Amino acid sequence: MTSKKKKGFHVDESELLCKNGCGYYGNPGWQGFCSKCYREVYQKAKDAQLESDSLRKQRLAALQGPAVTANGETTLKFNKFEEKRKQHQAPKAKTVKTLFKKGSASPNKEVPHPWTGKRQPSIESEKAASDFIEFLNTLRKPAAQDITKQCKALIDRLQDQYELSVEEQSDIVQDFYQNMGERLQTHSAFKGASAEQYETMMEHMEKYMITRLYKILFCPPTCDDEQKDLAIQNRIRRLHWISAEMLDADIDSTKPSVIDYIEKAQTDIIEMNSGRSPIDKLLCIVRCSKNIFQVLNISRGQPASADDFLPVLIYIVLKANPPQLHSNIQYITRFANPNKLNQGEVGYYFTNLCCAVTFIENLDAQSLSMSQEEYDSYMSGEVIPAGTKFGEPICEGLRLMYANLATLDELRIRQDRLRENALSLQQEIKDFRDSVVKTVQDVLTTKPFIIQQPRMPANLDEENAAESSLLPPPLKPEVVAK
Amino acid sequence: MAGSRVDLKVVLLGKEYGGKTSLVERYLHDRFHGDVPYQNTIGAAFGAKKVEIGGKMITMGIWDTAGSERYEAMSRIYYRGAKAACILADLTDYTSFERTRFWVNELKTNEEHCKIYLSGTKYDLVENDKKNRKVDYHMTTDFADEIHAQVMETSSKTGYHIKELFQKIAEDFVDDPSNLEIKEPNTLNMYESAYKKKFCC
Repeated sequence: MTSKKKKGFHVDESELLCKNGCGYYGNPGWQGFCSKCYREVYQKAKDAQLESDSLRKQRLAALQGPAVTANGETTLKFNKFEEKRKQHQAPKAKTVKTLFKKGSASPNKEVPHPWTGKRQPSIESEKAASDFIEFLNTLRKPAAQDITKQCKALIDRLQDQYELSVEEQSDIVQDFYQNMGERLQTHSAFKGASAEQYETMMEHMEKYMITRLYKILFCPPTCDDEQKDLAIQNRIRRLHWISAEMLDADIDSTKPSVIDYIEKAQTDIIEMNSGRSPIDKLLCIVRCSKNIFQVLNISRGQPASADDFLPVLIYIVLKANPPQLHSNIQYITRFANPNKLNQGEVGYYFTNLCCAVTFIENLDAQSLSMSQEEYDSYMSGEVIPAGTKFGEPICEGLRLMYANLATLDELRIRQDRLRENALSLQQEIKDFRDSVVKTVQDVLTTKPFIIQQPRMPANLDEENAAESSLLPPPLKPEVVAK
Repeated sequence: MAGSRVDLKVVLLGKEYGGKTSLVERYLHDRFHGDVPYQNTIGAAFGAKKVEIGGKMITMGIWDTAGSERYEAMSRIYYRGAKAACILADLTDYTSFERTRFWVNELKTNEEHCKIYLSGTKYDLVENDKKNRKVDYHMTTDFADEIHAQVMETSSKTGYHIKELFQKIAEDFVDDPSNLEIKEPNTLNMYESAYKKKFCC
């Protein structure tokens, strides 16, 4: 019907008639049938289709286990989600824009979205807006006005041109940073501000604008970030068996404080996904890095260098498996202020994270200094690395249990040792007492103790008492001559 | 551009445990980890120091890199945008000197605007006992001439030549006109065009 022979404008009458040959004219809209015949044919086909559909569904449900249906469901959901996102792109840009004209004080009172499923009044962007206004209030009026104007222009521009590719969006934002940097230096409204003030101004602008534009800019459907996210996520999952020792990461995981900091670092890197502006995300990376340095400090007892830091960062990324890792890194690279990204501590840690991800992507047997066979057997899951005590990715509770068991074991050993020592001490005391008793006895037997009469004090007079009676009485004085 | 900040990124390259960390520690905090156990720093992988050269304030960011061979493939991520690279060779370890050639080649091919500084570390160990020296002085100078690099023998333990090295890096950076001035005309032009664009849409 649609494949009409293109021979001028002449159409054979037979081609216009109903395909069923009932004599009425047909219509391409009814697939060449007349209205009556079409309804008949179509109804039949529809019924048949419905019937076979329901049959197939039943059969599928009967055949597949719950695991498989779950699997099917997730992919289905994911596809739907994709579609939604793509549909969403067009209406959103318009709605947001119309609202924006109502004034920047209430920027996010959006009209209800055409799709009702996951509409959320973006708390983050409301907060960003109020923070921004607060910040603007601290500035002088012409400066604040100029900044508002520039930011509005950029937001409008990006929201208007939603069909731009990510690279173009990135270029626009980067140009803006550069121009704004220049403008702050040269424009009369900003005269007299210090270098730090310029920096905070830039920071606030970045934070506000990119948070507002987050939905457009983060992992846009026009690029393949999403696939890459999934790829790296799967990659990390397959590398679950890598231990800290294989990476030469110097972690002393027997110390509870080390485990504590490792967990903090993992939380920080996962949190990166929830930050809205590139600055927020970068700060998460910085916090994560600082915690890693704590881990190393406690484990090694001296400040760590890059040689020690990178392996631990890789280990943390592998264990945490942060969501949408690739998207986040791309988002930061594209929309963060390049001055911040290429220099300074923040830039340093971000570079390290990029390195860690590159390393994970290209990881092979050689980079773990093991043989290819060993690597393959780990990859295929034939061999499970020994050393569950090293906090391998069993679940948190189990890990804790193992840790506690280890502590208990140690305690038991100590207690045993204590009891042993106590017993031996007791024995020693006893022995000592015995030995003392024995020595005393020995001495007693060899040198018997004889009690001698104590000598009485000699009383010269008394001793001679008997004799004194024999003595003549003392002479008495007598008168010899009168 | 009087009040603006000028940032200078310096990367440290060198075989692992070749003295990179000590160099940073000595330069930033003027101490050596053999002397005092220090608890305050949490890491010595990154450091920033402000230097004034000819009336210009320069913020020097010193990036330590992982020197292990397994991370070789990623080293270019580190030195992207670096204006100066300090390649360290342990004077008591000949293999570390051989490794410098690798980084020199990397830098020459990937980051041609990056100035190269060779530094022979652990000079204190070879100063008193010549037997420890595994890398000949003339070998390093010849190599430096060949690749048009500066060379200095340093000791983080005694502080020998450390300040001089970084001072030289900063001075060379300021002296090179391409680092400070080229930016302006470019940005002005882009500013104009972007400004017009903003109005038309």
